[in-house]
Amino acid sequence: MKTLIEKLSHPLLVRLAGIAIGLVFVVAGLAKIGDMSTFATQVHNFRLTPVALENLVAMTLPWIEVVAGTALILGVRRRGAAWICAGLMVVFTLAVGQAAARGLDFECGCFGKGDASTVGVKKLIENVGLTVVALIATLRRRS
Amino acid sequence: MRSGSVVTDIALLAGVGMLLGLGYNALGLRGGNDWGLAWKAVPLIETLGGEVKAVAAGAGDFATPPAPVSDDPLAPPPTARRDLPVIEDFGRPMEIGLEAVKQLHEADAALFIDAREDWEYAEGHIAGAINLPYEQAITDPAMLEQVDQGGRPIIVYCGGGSCEISIQVAWELLGVGKTHIAVYMGGFPEWQQAGYPVDKKAGEA
Repeated sequence: MKTLIEKLSHPLLVRLAGIAIGLVFVVAGLAKIGDMSTFATQVHNFRLTPVALENLVAMTLPWIEVVAGTALILGVRRRGAAWICAGLMVVFTLAVGQAAARGLDFECGCFGKGDASTVGVKKLIENVGLTVVALIATLRRRS
Repeated sequence: MRSGSVVTDIALLAGVGMLLGLGYNALGLRGGNDWGLAWKAVPLIETLGGEVKAVAAGAGDFATPPAPVSDDPLAPPPTARRDLPVIEDFGRPMEIGLEAVKQLHEADAALFIDAREDWEYAEGHIAGAINLPYEQAITDPAMLEQVDQGGRPIIVYCGGGSCEISIQVAWELLGVGKTHIAVYMGGFPEWQQAGYPVDKKAGEA
């Protein structure tokens, strides 16, 4: 396992993983900021937050995505940003997983309004993949 | 890099993101900008199966009493009310579909409230409905309290489509202690199109 992590912490790989996940987060965040009321509805659809807090989540979460994504791309406070992305990816994956398990069927809102993909197995696999990339980005670069 | 600084960075980045989000929203709420969200989300309607199901025996006090169990072949037949949909008291408005609304209307078994403006109400409304315009309802709680539901459930409606003032009025009614409230989202347009009874005179609010 240690050797795998050592292999994965190749500076170039870690940097590329960071840029890739950073771009995904910036794009996803901006799309949500562009249509907050739709995103608020989608937050509601997941039925994970108390109703009264849904709007607060909808207004702050996309900005956290954008800030963390930008920091990752720029390499500023890189590992902190990567951990935020990884943490959010885990939350998103669990959210999609529990929604699918409960048989809820709705657009996931992952990339804002234009994203018609619904929660389901495909989205789940996609999220697990992104989580792995985000985790790679959290690694210390081997010197 | 020490792990302590990573934690600090996480807190810093998340904090900056949150502040930006709150700031951007505050900006949206100001002036003519159209992107701001209310700070506290208003719970919208919880749809319970969309259509209200026909009565199940043993429902609450507003429910139709279950037919008495009797072996007597001469016992009176169960009343017609037994087949009516039941608007239960969930502490929040429930949504009701056209068919169930129609049944309750025919049996005069619900109080209908039109949440639209008085001139819209005057141009046509569900027969027997009273007018409780949203704008007045939220500024004058006494109006809400005066509503006498007479032991019947309340059905609030407005202009159909994306009209949501009926939901708001329903919440206001719940707020002053009314119970068993449903919202008919199809609203007046759907009712009228279905050819069901309509009044045109301006009634009392």
